[in-house]
Amino acid sequence: MVQSKTQKHLFLAFCLLPTFILFLVFTVYPAVNGLYLSFFEWSGTSAVKDFIGLEHYKKLFNDSVILKSIFNDYFFVFTKVIGIMILSLFFAVALTQLRIKEAPFYRVVFFFPNIMSVVVIGILWQFIFDPDIGLINGLLTAIGLESWTRPWLGSMEWALPSLVLPAVWAGIGLFMLLLMGGIMNVSKSLYESAEIDGASEWQQFWNITVPLIWPQIKTSIIYIVITSLNGSFVIVQIMTNGGPGNATEVMGSYLYEKAFEDFQFGYGAAIGVLILAVSLVTVLILQYILKREKVEY
Amino acid sequence: MNGKAMMKGKRMLIMALILVMGMLSACTSDSSSGDGKEEGKKKSGGADGEIAGELEIQYFVGGYGDGWWKSVIEGFKEKYPNVEIVEHAGPDINTEMKTRWISNNPPDVVYIDGNGSSETQMISDGQLMDLSDWAKALKLEDGSPLLESFISPAEELDGGAIYTLPLVFDTWGVWYDNAWFQEKGWEAPKDFDSWLASMKQIKKDTGIAPFITTGQYPQYFQRGVLNPAFAAAGGEELLNDLSDGVVEAWESEEVMEVMKKVEAMVDAGMVDKGFAARSHTQTQMNFIMHENAYIPVGFWLPTEMKADTPEDFEYGFMPTPMNDDGDAMALVPDIRPVAIAKEAENPEAAKAFVEYLFTEENAQKFAESTGAIMNLKNVDLSKNEQVPEFLKGINDMINNPGSIEIYNRNTPEGKDQKISIEMTDELHVQIVELLMGRIDAEKFVQTMRDKAKELRN
Repeated sequence: MVQSKTQKHLFLAFCLLPTFILFLVFTVYPAVNGLYLSFFEWSGTSAVKDFIGLEHYKKLFNDSVILKSIFNDYFFVFTKVIGIMILSLFFAVALTQLRIKEAPFYRVVFFFPNIMSVVVIGILWQFIFDPDIGLINGLLTAIGLESWTRPWLGSMEWALPSLVLPAVWAGIGLFMLLLMGGIMNVSKSLYESAEIDGASEWQQFWNITVPLIWPQIKTSIIYIVITSLNGSFVIVQIMTNGGPGNATEVMGSYLYEKAFEDFQFGYGAAIGVLILAVSLVTVLILQYILKREKVEY
Repeated sequence: MNGKAMMKGKRMLIMALILVMGMLSACTSDSSSGDGKEEGKKKSGGADGEIAGELEIQYFVGGYGDGWWKSVIEGFKEKYPNVEIVEHAGPDINTEMKTRWISNNPPDVVYIDGNGSSETQMISDGQLMDLSDWAKALKLEDGSPLLESFISPAEELDGGAIYTLPLVFDTWGVWYDNAWFQEKGWEAPKDFDSWLASMKQIKKDTGIAPFITTGQYPQYFQRGVLNPAFAAAGGEELLNDLSDGVVEAWESEEVMEVMKKVEAMVDAGMVDKGFAARSHTQTQMNFIMHENAYIPVGFWLPTEMKADTPEDFEYGFMPTPMNDDGDAMALVPDIRPVAIAKEAENPEAAKAFVEYLFTEENAQKFAESTGAIMNLKNVDLSKNEQVPEFLKGINDMINNPGSIEIYNRNTPEGKDQKISIEMTDELHVQIVELLMGRIDAEKFVQTMRDKAKELRN
């Protein structure tokens, strides 16, 4: 029996080995190498590297653009978490618990942005926000609110909030499906019992649905946070290139600018390490905040 | 566990082992073939200095296309049939070739242009060959020394070393639709006052904001408007000192005068309010659709917008009119150089190729296919029917100076290189702020001066 257990473990280890090697090569090594490069002055285009120790990290603390980028990243995180979670929960509940005949059609419609490239989404929304031919200014003018029209992506105040809209729009479908999966696993008898006891729909949602799909909600929030901190870069790069000024700069776009446009690869690597640290700390804090006893009825 | 199950377990174990070994061996073979050393061994010149062997060329393909390069390579092959040319070209070629440069296995010849390339950085990293002695001996077909035949001279660094030869004479200026101007009776300006008056007239006649530039890439305004303005106001020294963050330069009267001119454009409502969100292509589209009348861009504009340009549109180009009345207009060329890698495997063929580029025939072909000019003096484009009219005009102006002056932005060396990058980043932010009307000229100059002080300290 002991021998068979060892063999089983050995077999599992061998099965996991390829994945583990890939993880080491493509995840651990780049991260460690990034940390290593952050101690060097390196253009990223030649073999010449000068060791400068912690200089880049000292510079990070005095870089006003970095502070602005961190603020903007957290703006994305909070607005995306709130926007996506509220809307995807709403649609998930509506499409599972209300008897809507066209539910399968809506599922496809809401999921559609997830199969589109972020580049396409960015360009599409650039047109929507266009000050001259854009849908938003067009609608505002049509309903007599012409004074509200503005160059949305060219405004220091409105550019960042404007970028959240496509990010939320593109994110709803995936999380809606994830939450729908959780809702469909909740036993109908629980709702029937609650109804007999006189619980309102809101009470049913709050006391039955939310606690029972909490693992899915938690996973969704953490996933949105991680993808926001690492992935807002793409939509920013396409729609505003970090501008106007540095109004929409996020850590990812600033990393790109420093490493690939200013040829300061070492400093870019230090920003990369900062992104990793900020993401890790944020996720650990979130894990703690979202910790909740598993509910079973 | 019974015998059958044990056998099955062993078989699975062996399969897993084979899978892992297979992956490991795949990784090993990949890394050995990827270093490019084997490839390098194939390259070599022929015996007794004969121009032969493999020659690798890296060139960026952007707004000018690749037609000229293809024709030059064909011509070179005819002249040197024993040379086999390997082309590395495309819009992302600088990124694609990065690992070759990092691993000290670069191509032989490199045309330095486009995203991901920097002449300054390549020189600073010691990646380019010192061409000084060889270039000094080069002569054109008519016997004149090559180094004396450039419109914008080859730069000498480190006390006289030449690492690159200036191939393409690109320059930024202001574009307008000549046909539209003639139809409306508007005149192309010659100085800042007449430019502002012209913009006011256009706004009055059409209701459009006459001037647009891209807010996503503020370097268009920097290179297309500010640099010529600084050069016109204070010459080459001021232009270079400002870029290199010399504090006294940012405190000069000339700088404040230039920035006051920009402020006057903003205050008079001449700048398109939507500029900040627009990319360069969006602003160019607006320009050719007559949403705006003036746009600062380089020579490549007509080629880049060829497919979208209306038939009755006639490109008009002028050096940016930021000069005062009576002063010459300023041109600050944006030179695209060609160089030979320090680690070139076939330097003889590389030198032959670079020498071959600088001929009258290739200069004519360059103007025909790109709409820009090669950096050679006295190339007569006037009889070439394939060359656009605006280019003939500017070529004449360059070769017969008087109404315009050419100023060069020198490559910063040593500490100035880093300062220049930081100053440029700050300048880009402040340009957008100023053009949006969020700050005035005083605040602009103060911020830049403070940045220069911070960097110099």
